[in-house]
Amino acid sequence: MNEDQDIRTLLADSARRVFADHCSQEAVEAAKKSGWSSALWQVLERTQLTLVSIPEPLGGAGGTVADFAAVLRIAGRYSAPVPLAETGLLAGWLLAASGQAVPAGPLSAAPAQPAEALTLSRSAGAWRLAGTARRVPWARVATRLVALARYQATDWVVSVDPRRCVITPGSNLAWEPRDEVRFDAIALGDDEVVPAGAGVDLDRLYLRGALARAIAMAGALDRALELALTHAKTRVQFGRAIAKFQAVQQELARFAGEVAAAAAAALSAAGAVERGEGEFAVACAKVRAGEAASTGAAIAHQIHAAIGVTEEFALHHSTLRLQAWRAEYGSETYWGERLGEQVLAAGAERLWPRLTE
Amino acid sequence: MLFGDVDFSALILPDSAQALRAEVRAFLAGELASARIMPHLGHAQFDREFSRRIGSRGWIGMTWPKRYGGRERSYLERFVVTEEMLAVSAPCAAHWFGDRQCGPSLLRYGSEAQKARFLPAIARGESPFALGMSEPNSGSDLASVRTRADKVEGGWRVSGQKVWTSWAHVAEHFFCLCRTCADAGDRHLGLSQLIVDLRAPGVTIRPIRFMSGAHHFNEVFLDNVFVPDDMVLGEIGAGWRQVTSELALERSGPERFMTTFPLFVELVRRLGASTERRARQAIGQLSARMYALRRMSLAIAFEFSRALSDSAMRDLGTEASLVKDLGTFFERDITEAARLLVDVEPCPDAGDTFERYLAECIYTTPVGTIRGGTTQVLRTIIARKLTGAAAA
Ligand SMILES: Cc1cc2nc3c(=O)[nH]c(=O)nc-3n(C[C@H](O)[C@H](O)[C@H](O)COP(=O)(O)OP(=O)(O)OC[C@H]3O[C@@H](n4cnc5c(N)ncnc54)[C@H](O)[C@@H]3O)c2cc1C
Repeated sequence: MNEDQDIRTLLADSARRVFADHCSQEAVEAAKKSGWSSALWQVLERTQLTLVSIPEPLGGAGGTVADFAAVLRIAGRYSAPVPLAETGLLAGWLLAASGQAVPAGPLSAAPAQPAEALTLSRSAGAWRLAGTARRVPWARVATRLVALARYQATDWVVSVDPRRCVITPGSNLAWEPRDEVRFDAIALGDDEVVPAGAGVDLDRLYLRGALARAIAMAGALDRALELALTHAKTRVQFGRAIAKFQAVQQELARFAGEVAAAAAAALSAAGAVERGEGEFAVACAKVRAGEAASTGAAIAHQIHAAIGVTEEFALHHSTLRLQAWRAEYGSETYWGERLGEQVLAAGAERLWPRLTE
Repeated sequence: MLFGDVDFSALILPDSAQALRAEVRAFLAGELASARIMPHLGHAQFDREFSRRIGSRGWIGMTWPKRYGGRERSYLERFVVTEEMLAVSAPCAAHWFGDRQCGPSLLRYGSEAQKARFLPAIARGESPFALGMSEPNSGSDLASVRTRADKVEGGWRVSGQKVWTSWAHVAEHFFCLCRTCADAGDRHLGLSQLIVDLRAPGVTIRPIRFMSGAHHFNEVFLDNVFVPDDMVLGEIGAGWRQVTSELALERSGPERFMTTFPLFVELVRRLGASTERRARQAIGQLSARMYALRRMSLAIAFEFSRALSDSAMRDLGTEASLVKDLGTFFERDITEAARLLVDVEPCPDAGDTFERYLAECIYTTPVGTIRGGTTQVLRTIIARKLTGAAAA
């Protein structure tokens, strides 16, 4: 085990403690209404888990994307109701990669949809931001919204106070905030607008969003499998634990395969993004984790049967998130098509080299 | 949880392995360009000359000690060589059993004389081995084998029947799992492994045709075959443990998910820069599955390469079973996608490579989920680990 992995193990251990303490069934239930858990957020900031992969001089912990991925997977495992990926992997990255310090507090990034664009204009010495971003994660709880906007055919990174936007609350299947944000020609100061740094563009932002969701899905799958195993070992029918029935065992084995494949693809992609070669890997990760989410959620429910579909039982926190996250930042359809287009365009001779780079 | 604590983000092949990859790739491109080899999918082909060329490059028994003809290279380098061979479906059958199973077993359990005799020859690609495990009444339940070895002066007399023995008709020796003690209380304890000369008197080999008409597996009849004492592998009575210890290596390798990979490449070629959504999605989906599987298989290879000794090695049998289970279905997915996206009638003697590969893959579609442990058996192993005692 090398030094990097030691750090990741430590990070994961401390993340596990924090999330376990603050993501009880009651806490996650409560967040359905409040939108998030500010108590959890504060502990995460105090323990320096929010900006793991942001350089130290810009306010972060100076770790790698892979380090942060280890934390995000655990957040996914606990259905943590906080904009952790949005802050550290998306909005924080937009700022840091453009040379800006990352402020404390929960952040979110816009746009969150592929075909959307926000526009920046300048008149009489003042910047103005206009446009609408749909399904922006946790916009209503963010202390800053970081937007990527176009001005004179180049990308700019804009930090906006959400109180100046028109926010229409919405949510995903698991009641996580996914809000519409309207920027009505908001006037901005010079300190709120900077040219996007090298390698910062809409596509890369979307790609990171996909990575975040793939990693979170790996975590939620971990949890769904744990629950299914516990249930199978303790639920007794026909005089024995249902785990003793071969048909149940076969489903559990299939489930474990899906979980492992999702983790393999998602974490490998985190490593690839860190090394700046992420596009192929992230596409693979989002597709593979999405497939695993579909199969895994179905098996988890089948094994739990009726108890699993109740509100009082925790399984749905994981499975509904899996179903929601599959679609966010590009579904299997979106990434599968994109990946296939890429593979086909590169041609037969490039396929094997690409897989083994 | 299986693979639960693997740090996949940190699995990066060392430069030495990637340099070796380039070397192997260039070599194989030359072999193909000069038509010295002709890939067929489904079953690895048996080609003694090719195995010799591979051996002379040091790519067989790569991880073994130099004094036994090995190169003392890392397990990751071996992984790279294996996957490059599979990517073009190179004809490795004449050395693969020796390289993958028999050699490592010999290293671990063999006598000094056995190691000195067999390992350098295997590494040169000159000593093809086969595996004599299955019998007519012993498939998944391997511990029920009935082939018997009776102690005689200076050795053992072996009688019984093996079946499905791949390449027994061209191999020189096989590892024969047999019963050396008929009344051991535990049926696992009465088993031993003998190294049997396939040309010895009393050995009769009859072909079993595969449904495509091809001949690769056989029935092997053993009628009072004499096996000298020095051809007992390891300990008498330890055969079961010895056989199962190599399974992890066998099940986790890329050979369990790459047998149809060349068809995937040809499918990409055939579709060209297709703009059809369905085609793009299918290719994307297959790429993603392949990526995940390869990373899982690589994780096991890393674990092997890290283990400094056998005893330090974690038991990865369950992880390996998981890779094989997913992998064999992925192989099928490729075949299925190919035939649904390119609507041609599969033809085994087609001149077109894609069409020939497709036909070969369809013939061998049922095989992946049977050989080396059936789907049902693998999933039982996985579930047992997952559910612990509850399912035992
Ligand atoms: C192409 C090919 C090459 C081979 N090469 C070799 C070789 O070189 N050497 C060698 O020794 N063998 C070889 N084999 C044999 C192979 O290892 C066996 O086919 C395999 O172990 C399964 O045994 P079986 O075919 O007798 O099936 P069986 O064990 O009879 O199984 C029949 C069915 O019952 C199911 N089943 C069995 N037990 C259980 C259980 N406990 N729970 C649930 N379901 C169960 C199986 O999954 C299967 O669906 C080869 C096979 C093939 C197809």
